[in-house]
Amino acid sequence: MTRAAVTRPALPRLAAAVLSAALSAAAPPPLSAQSLPRQPAPRNATVYFHYPLDGLRVPERFTVRIGLKEMGVAPAGIDKPNTGHHHLLIDVDPGPPDQPIPADYNHIHLGNGQTEVVVTLPKGTHTLQLLLGDHTHAPHKPPVISQKITIYVR
Amino acid sequence: MQGLRLHLIVGVTAIFAASVAAGVAQERVRARSPAPAGAKVSFVDLRNDARIPARMTIRFAVGGMEIAPAGMARRNAGHHHLLIDTELPPPGQPIPSDFNHLHFGGGQSEAEILLSPGRHTLQLLFADHDHVPHDPPVMSEKITVEVMAGPEEKPRSAAAPNAQVFFIGLEDGATIPPRSVIRFGQRNIAIAPAGTKQEHAGHHHLLIDTELPPLDREIPSDFNHLHLGRGQTEAEVALPPGEHTLQLLFADHEHVPHDPPVMSQRIRVRVQETSVANPASASDARAATGRTPAPNDAAVYFIYPRQGEVIYPTSTIRFGLRNMGVAPAGIVRPNTGHHHLLVDVPTPPLDAAIPADLNHIHLGNGQTERRITLPPGEHTLQLILGDDQHVPHDPPVMSERIKVIVGNPRKQRPRR
Repeated sequence: MTRAAVTRPALPRLAAAVLSAALSAAAPPPLSAQSLPRQPAPRNATVYFHYPLDGLRVPERFTVRIGLKEMGVAPAGIDKPNTGHHHLLIDVDPGPPDQPIPADYNHIHLGNGQTEVVVTLPKGTHTLQLLLGDHTHAPHKPPVISQKITIYVR
Repeated sequence: MQGLRLHLIVGVTAIFAASVAAGVAQERVRARSPAPAGAKVSFVDLRNDARIPARMTIRFAVGGMEIAPAGMARRNAGHHHLLIDTELPPPGQPIPSDFNHLHFGGGQSEAEILLSPGRHTLQLLFADHDHVPHDPPVMSEKITVEVMAGPEEKPRSAAAPNAQVFFIGLEDGATIPPRSVIRFGQRNIAIAPAGTKQEHAGHHHLLIDTELPPLDREIPSDFNHLHLGRGQTEAEVALPPGEHTLQLLFADHEHVPHDPPVMSQRIRVRVQETSVANPASASDARAATGRTPAPNDAAVYFIYPRQGEVIYPTSTIRFGLRNMGVAPAGIVRPNTGHHHLLVDVPTPPLDAAIPADLNHIHLGNGQTERRITLPPGEHTLQLILGDDQHVPHDPPVMSERIKVIVGNPRKQRPRR
């Protein structure tokens, strides 16, 4: 985590500021601590793993397949009721539900509406969890979140 | 939480292993094989409080006894078990088999283990053909090791300080058509396909609308990070109208950027709107064929049911989509579409919008599963991805037309 922060190249401040305007659709907006208006989600909406399942042993490189009940998938930036895009949380607990989901190696954004993603993990025990985010990458209300599963990479 | 879960699994595994081994549920104490006095096991070249790397080969020695694979009952013989971060298991019971109790039932006398940074305890315990410790138990001292943080890192490939990558014929602020070929070049560094290790060489990555990834590891592979792993020096990209950013990042045979990183400036380009009269269907990537392009390796498939399966009259049909994303109908986004579930109809014409009726179920809100009710008997199901206008892509992204049988899957299969 900290290494990622360190190695991220220091863009010139000005360029970063200019670019953030152009990127506002692609990246979560630079957020103040205040909470966002959150999109409502149907009560019975569920996000779940088709693969892998809890406790499974998997190879180092595997495909995570995601199922979604009672809602639809839309790419990030698309504001449409009852839709969202998937986030795969690896070895991390979900953050506060009123904050946008961070974008880093532990929070994989499937911003183009993907429903599966190939991940490569080092050998050992890992946890996976799915969290749906709305067009601003913020979780819905109530959050549409899967069970946290544990897998063993062999 | 995690510890609890692990213990749960340990418990379940142990019970399972025990019941399988004995064939009966049993808590009774097993007969323990005798061990000669003076028998001992120990770690080779590993002492208490040693500092070790995360990945390490540990060797075990045994004195006064012999090694025999598990299952082979022999006097004064047994096999090693490595206990990691755990107390001794109860004597008179088989040693559990889990992540904390590694069995070397093949008679191995060394093992490569991977530990997380921090302090861990290691202990060796010898056991007989039945995995039951001897009497008296033959075990090593419990040692504590410290695993050093910063696991062995792959050294990054070196690059010449004057190596460069750059866009050809594309400047910051340029205006490009929605579908255009981006060309790039490199100086003082050679091109080699991904997977081919070569000094001062690598392959291009085109980063679209994204920040630089961490430079000490593999560049992600997704719609924002195009890998040109065959050594291409150009890429055809389809971008929606609006402003986008492009950046080149060179990386070695393992997709890890060089040291120092070889990358271009991040440039901004503006993708022009099409001059088509109807701006609603403004994706002019489709101008050439009239259809939205799809990646060649995109595929849609049934997660449930599969070909030939017997399903309940009311079943949830679940869809999988590879190498593309899902977007609700009406949304123009490259490499996305929405699902259509076709029931009991042949594949429709692929150059027109998919009809909307009871046999052609549109999942226009981006749904990836659908509960349907069908009368008993044989039915066919097929999935086709449609673009924002419900027209199949080019090439079409569709599944096989599968046959399912509606009945009661728990009763006998219907006659064929």
